[in-house]
Amino acid sequence: MNADTTRPDNWAHLIVQALKDYDTSLIAYVPDTSIHRVTRIIDQDPFFHLVSATREEEAVGIAVGSYAAGRNAAVFMQTSGFGNSINALASLCIPARAPIPFFINMRGGTGEFNISQVPMGRTTVPILDLFGLVSYTIDDEYRMDNLLDGAMKLCYANRQPVAVCLTQRLHGGKFA
Amino acid sequence: MRRFDAIELVLRLAGDRPIVGNLGPTSDELWHAGHRDRNFYTYGNMGLVSSIGLGMALATDEQIICMDGDGSLLMNLGTLASIGRERPKNLIVLVYDNEAWGQTGHQLSHTGTGTSLEAAAQACGISSATTVSDLEELEGALSTALETDGPHFIVAKIEEAGYLPVAPVEPEFTLYRFRNTFVQGQQPQPPR
Repeated sequence: MNADTTRPDNWAHLIVQALKDYDTSLIAYVPDTSIHRVTRIIDQDPFFHLVSATREEEAVGIAVGSYAAGRNAAVFMQTSGFGNSINALASLCIPARAPIPFFINMRGGTGEFNISQVPMGRTTVPILDLFGLVSYTIDDEYRMDNLLDGAMKLCYANRQPVAVCLTQRLHGGKFA
Repeated sequence: MRRFDAIELVLRLAGDRPIVGNLGPTSDELWHAGHRDRNFYTYGNMGLVSSIGLGMALATDEQIICMDGDGSLLMNLGTLASIGRERPKNLIVLVYDNEAWGQTGHQLSHTGTGTSLEAAAQACGISSATTVSDLEELEGALSTALETDGPHFIVAKIEEAGYLPVAPVEPEFTLYRFRNTFVQGQQPQPPR
């Protein structure tokens, strides 16, 4: 399953399986072209409740509320949306120790066509580092299921957000 | 109407229902009016309390009472559209509206210059939206909301009346205590 190149968007299916393995069933997100390849699978699966937020910090609030009431939740966004959600991460998730997995589409890296996406794309991981939060950058599917399993387990064990950063080398990205 | 008196009323009507309070004085007053495990106090993330309430309502069948503020909700009006899109039957959003940013020097907020949060909620698809101006009206509106399907949106016009001491709560303990009234244990166990 790990490197099943016969299945379209295998990487997206691996993420969906990891969410299921850790009973993480509410997904709050703001649409993104690459993230859509995951959320369209989620949207068709009755295990999940996919919630469309108007802004990424709102998605973080929805996810924390869900976790607080007993339903594990994750957020999906792109790097520009990570910029929008920084205060929610800093003043809600971290002090409350809310274990929310962040799945972030890394704009601004190899293959980027939009100059405006580069600054936030280049600073997302350093910002996570400044907060002391764990992040994993995934460039390909090699042992991706193993990494996702470990990231989810750590997130809940440590009761802090963990970021899974999905690069354009993994999913092909968005092209102008 | 004083917010503290309104919060005491909410606690009396809420029974065992979860209550999530906006940051600052609303959470402080909720603690002073009646600390309980099912109070979720927020102390940062201004603007997100109604989003947190929405997430709670989507995670449980229990009715969630969410207490927001005018200045805070104005930071995140988009969440009204998300509530209107999801339409959770079990969500009651109560906005304490003093038409000011009370904590920062009582600067006039947009609700004091013509913005109607009730109209905004209705425009976002929350058809049960109303405004109340005294405790008797609030008791009537909240009682109806508790007995009928939502989402419900109630704007309670309040006057500022000084501040109580900051409540001695910690975000980490608040989340831990609150969540444990829904599920036991903090970690999901992978099926293997």
